[in-house]
Amino acid sequence: MDARRWLKPSVVVGALSLAAVVALYWIVATRPGTNPALVPAPPQILQTFGEEIRSGDLWINTLASLRRVVIGYAIGASLALILGALAGWFKWWGWILNPIIDALRPIPALAYIPLVIVWIGIGEPSRLIIIALAVFKPCVVNARAGMKEVAQIYVDAARTLGASRWRVFATVALPSAIPYFIAGMRTGVSTGFLALVAAELIAAPSGLGFMIQNAGQYFRTDITIVGIIVIGILGALLDQIASRAGRKLTAWSEVRRES
Amino acid sequence: MPDAYSTAAAPVKLGIRGLTHRFVIGGAQAPLTVLSGIDLEVGRGEFVCIIGESGCGKSTLLRMMAGLLTPSEGQVLHDGAPVRGVNQALGFVFQQDAVFPWLTVEDNIEYGPKARGLPKTERRRLVEHWSEAVGLAAFRKAYPKELSGGMRKRVDLARAYANSPDVLLMDEPFAALDVQTKATMQQAVLELWQSTGKTVVFVTHDLDEAVFLADSIVVLASRPGRVHARVRNPLPRPRREETRVSDAFAAAKRALWTTMQDARKGDD
Repeated sequence: MDARRWLKPSVVVGALSLAAVVALYWIVATRPGTNPALVPAPPQILQTFGEEIRSGDLWINTLASLRRVVIGYAIGASLALILGALAGWFKWWGWILNPIIDALRPIPALAYIPLVIVWIGIGEPSRLIIIALAVFKPCVVNARAGMKEVAQIYVDAARTLGASRWRVFATVALPSAIPYFIAGMRTGVSTGFLALVAAELIAAPSGLGFMIQNAGQYFRTDITIVGIIVIGILGALLDQIASRAGRKLTAWSEVRRES
Repeated sequence: MPDAYSTAAAPVKLGIRGLTHRFVIGGAQAPLTVLSGIDLEVGRGEFVCIIGESGCGKSTLLRMMAGLLTPSEGQVLHDGAPVRGVNQALGFVFQQDAVFPWLTVEDNIEYGPKARGLPKTERRRLVEHWSEAVGLAAFRKAYPKELSGGMRKRVDLARAYANSPDVLLMDEPFAALDVQTKATMQQAVLELWQSTGKTVVFVTHDLDEAVFLADSIVVLASRPGRVHARVRNPLPRPRREETRVSDAFAAAKRALWTTMQDARKGDD
């Protein structure tokens, strides 16, 4: 790896900016009169981080959250891509699905939480449903938009080459809408993560949301901060994975070289 | 009408009878007549160019021959049978870049044969043959974005020919290319036409292109689009690069130019 890549002005300034935030927090935390139990200084947070790793709690909670978000995401995203693709491409499916999609669109997924709890209870299925709902929305809207943007020229070309309507859907419309699918799925990662923490804050036996909520009740601010940092890292990591997978799938669509 | 053209000696491949097309342009009260009373016959194995100013409806006419558009009146006949819906026995090369960017060169060429359910060995053979024929054998695994505009047009041609269409319809396929690439591609089209003997209908607004390629040239007049004249191209074959600077070429071009001027005057 080239060292100069890491010494770019943007990277250096960005790191300094982050460091300044930490320093500011540090100053506040060590100011006389601040209760170190409520505003723990960075060394204390690092120590708690180590303890949480050694005790295994952090792993258990991270894995519980990860499992939930992966399952909820898989359900929400796959349903959304199928329904969005159908609604965006086939007239009849659009007539049937568009009103439902557009009615759901302005409602934040978190607004369903009370309803889901009353109907299904506070068990694992409820949490998965909330995550799936949160992922569903951006994915379905983008998938539908992508199918509406398919260039007519490709459809005409495929038709004259002998493709049936179904083949045009499968081999022209779907692949050319992939960039939209990816965009929706990336947004879905962040909305799904948001819903995960919210769902776990309410009632969960494990998970990062549970961990920070539980610690807060015992005034263990240090554990809460560790949890928040792990949530941030995990979210960024998942977004990176989604973006890399997306770039690989849409390598063909990068800017064309002009002749 | 100079050098009026009688129906080709060969059996009629494509026929157009009394074709008229109207559509309403945003907000206008009366529909606009784009094409009016077109009668045309294309003989088997013939290379026909349709030429006219931009806006004369030549692309619309070609799309109707392919069944991509349905005329308001009249019909298109293929081997005597009326065309309804997209005619999948024909090949179409579009003016825009229509190569599928998400498929490699060979997957693009294979698209038609696959859609028709040809067995894999036969598809392999076609891909090999046609990527070779358009000079892209070394680029079979490349994605379109890695190719130049001229090379992408070659992919488009190979894809159309690999599907063994009965007739090839080409809609100003080289309009976006530079002069040099255009000349090379015209040569390639002539070679493909000579080696396959397939009927070609080629739309262009370029006099040189029409004279270099065609057996016979249909001159359209504008507003509404209608057949002004159909002339036989006197330029002898085979045609090579040096043909472009020959006296015969200049004479043929001058004759066509005059006919096009008449078509324009008819408008005023």
